[in-house]
Amino acid sequence: MDLTRASQLPIIEYEGLTPEENAELNRGGVLLNSLETLKGWARSNSLWPMTLGLACCAIEMMGAAAAHYDLDRFGMIFRASPRQSDVMIVAGTVTKKMAPLIRRLYDQMAEPKWVISMGVCATAGGPYVRSYSVLKGVDQVVPVDVYIPGCPPSPPALIYGLNMLQEKIRMEARGKKVTRA
Amino acid sequence: MIGFLKGLSVTLRQLPKKKVTLQYPDVKPEWPERFRGVHRFIPELCIACNQCARICPTSCISLSGERDENKKMKIHTFDINFDICILCDLCTEVCPTEAVLMSDTFEMAKYSRDDLYLDMHWLHDNQLKYEQAHPDRFERARGEAD
Repeated sequence: MDLTRASQLPIIEYEGLTPEENAELNRGGVLLNSLETLKGWARSNSLWPMTLGLACCAIEMMGAAAAHYDLDRFGMIFRASPRQSDVMIVAGTVTKKMAPLIRRLYDQMAEPKWVISMGVCATAGGPYVRSYSVLKGVDQVVPVDVYIPGCPPSPPALIYGLNMLQEKIRMEARGKKVTRA
Repeated sequence: MIGFLKGLSVTLRQLPKKKVTLQYPDVKPEWPERFRGVHRFIPELCIACNQCARICPTSCISLSGERDENKKMKIHTFDINFDICILCDLCTEVCPTEAVLMSDTFEMAKYSRDDLYLDMHWLHDNQLKYEQAHPDRFERARGEAD
């Protein structure tokens, strides 16, 4: 039985590697953390959001992308297709009719993918919190990374949330846990 | 060719103009005085009359108070659930003692919904932050009161 130090360490599961390859790396005592950090840096600086405007928050989202706040400074270019995007900004009221479609769009996005819940409607229903037809929080259908309150949040508030998501991507690439509800 | 030069001349004319982009994380935006950001709260002024909680369209405010030895109502707990608060300013408008007011804090994004349920201490800290950021507004208010 192999009782070396390396075999006692937990096997780290790297993204895109098979379990056998992870075990092989563990046996060899190789860590790929600098590569993960590099991947986190690259991903956090080329977040392509999907244009998912559902209500008035979409206007603020467009305002954040336009010249005055200019999301291109952070390498964020809006894409119209879920296949080409990394982050889904759920901007607006999610009705119960729209919820399965949001789930489908989320499933169509390529890994790695993140979700931002923009505005109180997407976070918890907001003014429609006692409505019969509105989903009480988009986290009931997709996992949300960052919640941005506000009705609607101003473009700087959205940029602050997006910067928090970049921070989270870099932190998780370094192997640190970020709290999640 | 002519059209190409025409288009390029428009581009060149824009070049020396002032840039409109606000470099947000480095340069903070200047909000007007009546901007509706997150609330700030002054516990000494609150008389726990419950009007803010009653007028709130989403019922996101919950508070409790008790009578002190002078039979005056004192606030005990004051929580705002920013999950559903729509920052409509109605609580500020009905408040008879102006204990709950709007600030210009907007950087509120959180990783978890639990962090959006904020209590009296956070709201009072927000008030102190606001006082520090805008001393001129308080000077003016004091001048009007005298």
